[in-house]
Amino acid sequence: MRKKIIISISFFLILISYLTFVDFKGDWALRNGGLDNLRTFFFESLWPPDWSVLDPRAYPVCERNIGLFCSIAWTGMVETIKIAFVATVFGFIIALPISSLAASNLAPPVVSLIARTTLAGMRSLPSIIWAVLFVVVVGFGPFAGVLAMTFYTIGYLGKLQFEAIEGIQNTPLEAHRAMGMNRLEIFIFVVIPESANNLISHMMFMFEYNVRHGTVIGLVGAGGIGWHISNYLKFLQYDKVLALLIVIFLTVVVIDLSSQFVRSFFNENNDSRNKTWLSVFLPANAVLSKEEE
Amino acid sequence: MAEVLLSSRDLSIGYEYSLIEKANFEIKEGDVIALLGPSGIGKTTLLRTIFGAVEPLEGSILSNIQKRGDLGFIPQRLGLIGNMSVESNVLNGVRVKRPWYQSLTLSLSSTAKKEVSTAISSLGLKEQSEQLVRTLSGGQQRRVATARSLAQNPKLILADEFLGELDEDNIELVLSSIKQMLEANNSAILMVEHHEEIAQKVANKIWRIENKTLIEQDVGDAFEEVSI
Repeated sequence: MRKKIIISISFFLILISYLTFVDFKGDWALRNGGLDNLRTFFFESLWPPDWSVLDPRAYPVCERNIGLFCSIAWTGMVETIKIAFVATVFGFIIALPISSLAASNLAPPVVSLIARTTLAGMRSLPSIIWAVLFVVVVGFGPFAGVLAMTFYTIGYLGKLQFEAIEGIQNTPLEAHRAMGMNRLEIFIFVVIPESANNLISHMMFMFEYNVRHGTVIGLVGAGGIGWHISNYLKFLQYDKVLALLIVIFLTVVVIDLSSQFVRSFFNENNDSRNKTWLSVFLPANAVLSKEEE
Repeated sequence: MAEVLLSSRDLSIGYEYSLIEKANFEIKEGDVIALLGPSGIGKTTLLRTIFGAVEPLEGSILSNIQKRGDLGFIPQRLGLIGNMSVESNVLNGVRVKRPWYQSLTLSLSSTAKKEVSTAISSLGLKEQSEQLVRTLSGGQQRRVATARSLAQNPKLILADEFLGELDEDNIELVLSSIKQMLEANNSAILMVEHHEEIAQKVANKIWRIENKTLIEQDVGDAFEEVSI
């Protein structure tokens, strides 16, 4: 019976999606020669990437031994990572108390509703809009980027955090309440340790997310590698844009793999031994057989 | 004369329907009360009503336990924090005996550390004191929950099947530690128990729930035997 219901619901969802797609059809029609245009754009403007973005900049004069460290790609990417890092840490610290007020198992319904609405409001403005607002307030540069990304992080991370808090078992909360702990103590000594794995995992995810989005907020002048992309776009230097996009892609892949490795230490099923770097790249059974050898 | 710690007046408890009706009871200092009855009859609900997690349907509970930390609770599912060490879990018991504003710095206090270490040692968990609770066996976790209550040193312990999953040696160890604490502090314990034999040996009163009625029976002195 249950199986039939699941199949019916799945079928219904696919049908609705198809009908909605058909409704869009008029808007989705390809322009005549659209694919040819794309091919021309790719081979004439984008490809090959212009790797001069890895050369040291002419001004200011590079005083480092390795020229790469003075390049646009390096300085831009490092600035983006710095913005993302600071915003993630600030966002995490500010979101934590708000999410404790938003969690329905900790706060009264009215307080929870107000906190959730606040988080939803901060989340519903995309980081690029926050960036525009803060560029207006504090001017161009990474400070605007940090503020924009911190605000967005509070909204996004706060939601993940209160869902993690709501997911913890009720028994420790009830036991410590019965023992006489107040709300603040329960939050510090029960809730945070109980949900620590998820909180850390979410923070790592948010850092990756912020690095990716750091490139977007740069487009409106809020610092980082996106600022350079924005400048190259203005001068139609698409081959340099492509080179920077490849740099961003590689950085995101490295951060993703590192965060997977770090998160493996906080996995509850991983009490006896920690993951190896190999396990990030290979499936678990492959790593196991290699270790057994 | 033993002081009354807790009493009820025509107490009815339950959720959408009542589980116990018109119960009148008293818990005095030094009482060891075993609460018996089949599953689902309202034993846990009675404990939860006593510490305020469930509102009574009718009647009232009068409590002389006013001070923070004077009520201890060992839930059936223990309520431990799996991501924390045995020491940190037991320290939470010490925390509630101090003013809340001392909570944050308490882990640095040598007196608190000593209290934690005494409770841990008395339950034979010294070797595991730095281990994460989630890595311990079910029986060891039960002893940690008991150690938390010992460190708390409350006037009344509500214990929900806290001897389950323990072998005979560990039941004796837990009971003798609880006995020492109760005698030193003139405290009381209300324990939900499934084993009539254990109840008869350790309790001075047995409460049974039958047909929505709480029946009290005096069975001699508390802790006549702690060996099972």
